[in-house]
Amino acid sequence: MTDDVTDDAPLSAAAEYALGLLTPAQARAFEADMNSDLSLRAELAHWQEHFVTLTDDIAPVTPPKATFDAISARLFDAPQLRRNWFGWLAGAASAVVTAAAVMTVVLPAPNPTTNDLVAGLVGADIDLRVDATFDPDTNTLLLNRVAGAPADGRVLEMWLIAGDDAPISLGLLPDAQTGQVQIAADLAARVAGGILALSDEPLGGSPTGAPTGDVVALAPFSSV
Amino acid sequence: MATREDIETYIGRVALGDRAAFAALYSATSAKLFGVTLRVLNNRAEADDALQEVFIKVWRAADRYQTNGLSPMTWLITIARNHAIDRLRARKKGQAGLDEVAELADSAPGPEQQAIASSARAQINDCLDELPKDRAEAVRRVYLDGDTYQDLADAMQVPLNTMRTWLRRSLIKLKDCLSQ
Repeated sequence: MTDDVTDDAPLSAAAEYALGLLTPAQARAFEADMNSDLSLRAELAHWQEHFVTLTDDIAPVTPPKATFDAISARLFDAPQLRRNWFGWLAGAASAVVTAAAVMTVVLPAPNPTTNDLVAGLVGADIDLRVDATFDPDTNTLLLNRVAGAPADGRVLEMWLIAGDDAPISLGLLPDAQTGQVQIAADLAARVAGGILALSDEPLGGSPTGAPTGDVVALAPFSSV
Repeated sequence: MATREDIETYIGRVALGDRAAFAALYSATSAKLFGVTLRVLNNRAEADDALQEVFIKVWRAADRYQTNGLSPMTWLITIARNHAIDRLRARKKGQAGLDEVAELADSAPGPEQQAIASSARAQINDCLDELPKDRAEAVRRVYLDGDTYQDLADAMQVPLNTMRTWLRRSLIKLKDCLSQ
């Protein structure tokens, strides 16, 4: 076919932004432009109204009965998170006593972007504070050990607890005060709604693939 | 069936923390939103989980809906579509997260925008039909399947920059058509 439009024909980034075709840097730049140019916002709304009609043919499907209760629990029933956690812990009796004393605190991360997820971990029995920020754009988990350190000859291992599944190791907490770890894509999708936990482990980390030492801190990931 | 006004009222009350309104909003819109997450993710368990996260976002972002120029169903479906596609793309790096897209638009609606919602229906399909078939299909795949420029370039066996140029030209034509 022949294209009768030149490559330089004017097109703002609104359509590509609505479609999700921009790189993260381009998307952030467009958002900045939108803040100073209301016509871009109107244009974006225009595209969104048009594109959304592409879903007109998608038939409604009644979700499972339990779904609304699950949403309510996740929003309004904070202890639900801990019930899941303790449900898992029932199989790891040695950790229960310590975990019962663990506090969960959510702390804001520095300079978060809009879709980051943060978890602020505070140890109850030991002096430890770790701020974790997960960036879903890059699947990186940034760690800032604000206070405390593992005991001599021991390490802290990070675990993701998603739903009722057993904890999945995210590797060792970096030695440096700040560091980052790359989260595998299949795990990254489960960070939202998940819990980050730290366990005390021998050098090199848990030899079994499950936490073997005390759980020293845990906190849910939440939106900034 | 809930009207547009009902849904706007629910969202307004959800913004004030009204759980009963949240339940009503869920009951009125969850089937459509589940249809969307299911269509994108093509996996019931994942679509269910995505739906939960969508409603969590809706609860938290309802105060930003207010009168943002989007019809309430557009706002809700856009959140669902963007979230489902973000999950689908979780394996791909270097692609902007979409979740914030719907939440960002919070400018007051002009009369023009208010008119869009009613006229948009079906219009985009007519306009897509005016594009070459493969270009129209590319736009649909981006919106409903989360294809990136790279995915499209691979599928159509053209260089990335060529694909980008083609799609941008298609969007320009689409914009012209939609504005007529």
